[in-house]
Amino acid sequence: MIRLEDVTVRIGDVEALSAVSLDLDARTVAVVGDNGSGKSTLARLLAGLVPATSGSVCVLGLDPARDVAELRRRVAVVFSNPDAQIVMPTVAEDVAFSLRPRERRSRGIRSRGIRRGGRGDAGTAGLVAQTLDRFGLAALADRPSHDLSGGQKQLLALAGAFVRRPDLVIADEPTAFLDARNARIVAEHLLADTGHRLVLATHDLGLARRCDLAVLCARGRVEATGEAGEIVTRYRASLPW
Amino acid sequence: MVTLYLPGDGPLHRMPAGAKLVLLVAAVLGVSLLPTAPWSAAAAGGACVAGYLVAGFHGAHGLRELGRQSWTLRWVIVLVFGGLLIFLGPMPAALNTARVVAAVLLAMLLALTTRMTALLDALERGLLPLAVLRVDPARVALLLTIAISTVPVMIRIAHDVREAQLARGISRDIRAFAVPYLVMALKHADELGDALAARGVR
Repeated sequence: MIRLEDVTVRIGDVEALSAVSLDLDARTVAVVGDNGSGKSTLARLLAGLVPATSGSVCVLGLDPARDVAELRRRVAVVFSNPDAQIVMPTVAEDVAFSLRPRERRSRGIRSRGIRRGGRGDAGTAGLVAQTLDRFGLAALADRPSHDLSGGQKQLLALAGAFVRRPDLVIADEPTAFLDARNARIVAEHLLADTGHRLVLATHDLGLARRCDLAVLCARGRVEATGEAGEIVTRYRASLPW
Repeated sequence: MVTLYLPGDGPLHRMPAGAKLVLLVAAVLGVSLLPTAPWSAAAAGGACVAGYLVAGFHGAHGLRELGRQSWTLRWVIVLVFGGLLIFLGPMPAALNTARVVAAVLLAMLLALTTRMTALLDALERGLLPLAVLRVDPARVALLLTIAISTVPVMIRIAHDVREAQLARGISRDIRAFAVPYLVMALKHADELGDALAARGVR
């Protein structure tokens, strides 16, 4: 699913990832480590949001630097700050926004002309309604997105990611701003086996332990990879108390 | 003001966004171009009342919604009336203010009865002729949408920064406000860019 060979990522003068090599094939993978250890950079690298300075990256058989369109189609990303992920003014519209690139492709809309035909608004509306229902947001469909609570906003961000039925979801600290109840709800949605794979960068060690595999990052390097329980125990043992 | 859409099933809700945009622009222009006279102010007010009555909002009477929207404009009304009063006198100021407010309320009907996605599509189609000038209609429409939906975030950031300043005992210091505000706004722009890219917007 994910293969990195000797990957270095330099952001400005900082080497955020140094000579990282990984070969991961599991349904759920947690990435743990201290702040600044490279977790988020690794997640962003896999999502194609930062380029590798050197080395090779392969995600679902794709090169994030070259196969951008295909990667966007198959990979969804959830960030820690839901406010930055909300684009449209109402809940239903924001979920539908994720389908715009696909809708535009199927309708043949290009910047220089519109050709009708193909998947229509009814199909999109059905998919949006189904997704809102799945994430418990159906009753809030017409509510202003930015008026939602933090937990509801993160559920909206998840709905926006899952409505595209991605093969891989990359989540970077998705529960960081949430209370225990909402963190649990978001975690259940992420970990549910609905046909997607998950890469989860998190400080929540309880959540990381529930993944199949885990990667331990430290100072921009991968310190260990293995069964999630073992890696979390090892990381916990390295903490000062 | 940022998210005005109210669900409903009246003729305005059912009308295609493009046609509604043209109709409301024509109505706003008509109201704006009328001469300053009591009958024109009455006509502008009448157009407004008729528009809100036929809108067919769910769970809200048209006239009540008209009152609510007028109340949100109270400071605009005061400013416009006050400004015109100085230069034109009470009667022309009242008549002109009535027309300006009617024009704004009619324009608000578009946002009240049209989802942003429908507006985005209509805007994109409306801008298509500009493609010959190498303007990307989709990009322009998206830019406008993002600008509108970012307003509440910027307000929240300003509020957060203000609260943090007060908590540290700083009451009025422009620089102490501007620096963290700009940093947070730029950080938000960065994150929004990533989120848009992740959602397939290039």
